Amino acid sequence: MRLRRALLALSLGFAALGSQRGEAAVPALYTAAQAHTGHATYEQKCAMCHGKHEQGMVGPALKGPIFASKKANYKVEDIYLFMSVNMPAYAPGSLTPKQYVDIMAFLLRQNGFPAGQSALTSKLASSSTVPLLYHGPKAVQASPGVAATCPPAATGSVSNPSSHCKQSP
Amino acid sequence: MTMFARLLRNASAWHVPCRIVACDGLPVGYRTCRARQQYSGEYSTMKVNQTKHRLSRLWLGVSLAVALAPATAALAAGYPQVTNARLAAAQNDNGWLMFRRDYAGRSYAPFKQINTANVNTLHEVWSYQSHLKQGYESTPIVNGQYMFITTPKDHLIALNAVTGKVLWKYVKPMKGVGFKTVCCDVVNRGVALYGDNVYMATLDNYVVALNAMTGKVVWQRELKPADVGYAMTLAPMILKGMVIVGESGGEYGARDFIQALDAKTGALLWRRWTTAAPGHLGGNTWPKGMYKHGGGSAWLTGTYDASTNTLFWGVGNPSPWLAKLRPGLNLFTDSLLALDPSTGKIKWYYQYTPHDSWDYDGVNTPVLTSLSYHGKEYKAIVHADRNGWFYAINRVNGKLIYAEPFTRATSVEGFKDGLPYTNNALRPTMTKQIFTCPSFLGGKNWWPISVDPQTHMAYVPTMHTCMTMKGAPTFYHAGLPYLGESFEVVHDPADHSWGALQAINVDTGRQAWNHDSALPWDAGAMSTAGGLVFSGSARGHLYAFDAQTGKILWRSPKLSSGIIAPPSTFMVNGKQYVAILAGWGGGTPIWGGKMVPVVKSIPRGGHLYVFALR
Repeated sequence: MRLRRALLALSLGFAALGSQRGEAAVPALYTAAQAHTGHATYEQKCAMCHGKHEQGMVGPALKGPIFASKKANYKVEDIYLFMSVNMPAYAPGSLTPKQYVDIMAFLLRQNGFPAGQSALTSKLASSSTVPLLYHGPKAVQASPGVAATCPPAATGSVSNPSSHCKQSP
Repeated sequence: MTMFARLLRNASAWHVPCRIVACDGLPVGYRTCRARQQYSGEYSTMKVNQTKHRLSRLWLGVSLAVALAPATAALAAGYPQVTNARLAAAQNDNGWLMFRRDYAGRSYAPFKQINTANVNTLHEVWSYQSHLKQGYESTPIVNGQYMFITTPKDHLIALNAVTGKVLWKYVKPMKGVGFKTVCCDVVNRGVALYGDNVYMATLDNYVVALNAMTGKVVWQRELKPADVGYAMTLAPMILKGMVIVGESGGEYGARDFIQALDAKTGALLWRRWTTAAPGHLGGNTWPKGMYKHGGGSAWLTGTYDASTNTLFWGVGNPSPWLAKLRPGLNLFTDSLLALDPSTGKIKWYYQYTPHDSWDYDGVNTPVLTSLSYHGKEYKAIVHADRNGWFYAINRVNGKLIYAEPFTRATSVEGFKDGLPYTNNALRPTMTKQIFTCPSFLGGKNWWPISVDPQTHMAYVPTMHTCMTMKGAPTFYHAGLPYLGESFEVVHDPADHSWGALQAINVDTGRQAWNHDSALPWDAGAMSTAGGLVFSGSARGHLYAFDAQTGKILWRSPKLSSGIIAPPSTFMVNGKQYVAILAGWGGGTPIWGGKMVPVVKSIPRGGHLYVFALR
């Protein structure tokens, strides 16, 4: 029964962790490869204001229960639309759609959204009404299907490859 | 245990003479002794002239401890009450009692001890370092021997103004605060003083009153929730027993306001909304309902004219930035408000930029001065606006005396019948990208000017930028920016210095002298009766210029970071001091377009320096 439920969640693109905690399932909206690439772009384009670990610096933190709170009532589309038009502040809209999508994937990962098999696209991100809530680090580690989409070992400028890729079987 | 409780627990430790943990020889003839405070990462450093103290390390430690003793005793004797009378005469006070020194906002001190003849012997007497890496925009406020500074994220520190010893520290609790609607770095611009209290306005929209001697909170009042559009970064103003503050939020669709509170109790007295509602003066200048998210932030401290009992306060840009979305003049955005300070009622207003589409906040300090223009004397306000024009306005009736551009200014094209008109071809749309000057960072951003009654000059930190700008999709969501434009800040094609400090003759509006800077010049100015103008550079030097000619008479050694704060000066026991906070940050490194890579390598971190004559 438990297996069936898990398989059902997987087939719908949802992580099982949320239901284990008695909460609504957390959807898998991006692939691990996208988040991995997004991390590198984040470090180049965003970290100077939002902090190397998205903890906030001169700009706000972009992860955690205060950023992605029920009170803030952000949907994925809100953050994506704002970011892709107005960020980075020194050159708004200057990144490619792929770069914005990858950064969105990275931010979803950092807020505990699991990776999945289907890639996030600009169209999906700009119309996703999924609430952007912080789901904690465990959702990332427990997400199914991550290993299949993890990129090869980090190279080049990526100094801190995604932790869930390292921990995946 | 809360941070505040921890600080109280440690407070007794701060009142003993500092333990000396390191002494380093310096090549310039004096020795540094570092007295580490009781919390990690922050310490005060006192410099002692080596030529007078050729002592062993041990003896130096003893002499420093002894030197601290009289100051401590003097502090124990009491805290000088800050009364309405002292504030009214703040210009002549030995301290520096409010944001721009006096109600006129001139940032001019009557002290002559440090002057054109001896300023080249100015040297550091003590410093204090903070561990936070964001921008430092606070003016050191001094009363007697007490100095108060603020840091990013609303830490308030009281120090002995002579020795640098930390007396107490207050850290505003920020539990659950995301700093989501703070546009331009998590800064604070300093405190106000009244009675025994010190007042701070915070990023989570509190006004906090603390006992100036102990740091204990006397009252605090939340004006708005955090993270939904509002924030406060300004130094409060004290006037007639009120504490007056203004909200930021023009980038987030807030409806902003100026708020007066009872300085003793924190009770709310009056609120002046800065976007006009239907049925009120200016209410027909907005499309239906748009005033509710219309911005009009009031994020810099105002000034006050006792002769007409008028409070002056500048108002910021309309929200969203793209003007096409809100046809009309959008009052009272980008305007100077003349208010009755007992009610907040508008006496008159002057809009610097009508129907703004370029983010030209009108908040820069309206400075009160007398001037003579074409042979006629005026009680005037002078104001260097973000839109690149230097305004002189009759402060009795609100009529324009003159306006002159102080940098390349193309968005506001000229003036007719005393009112500005804009170049409508330079208004961006969703399909049209424009190029105009200055950029939204302004011909001058918030960096306070100084007006010297001796030279009749205004000393104006200046930015030479232009920008591309185009309409972009936007939507209102509390807690997210609300702009509707994309943009890039670039060089003024005709001027490849990013910054300057220039002197403007207030009797003509024309430039008297100019000091160019390859890097932006984002620091406030201060002038003194010693014939000097002080201001700091992004490279981290505090400068003293000849107020009359602009000649550089002194330049500090390179400080630990670039300067974006204004200096202050004060007298204690007959000795004049100059104080400045270094600590690069603010809006330029976030929004500065082509400037960003230029300033990227400027070191971060806060450091307060105090100088005196050798």
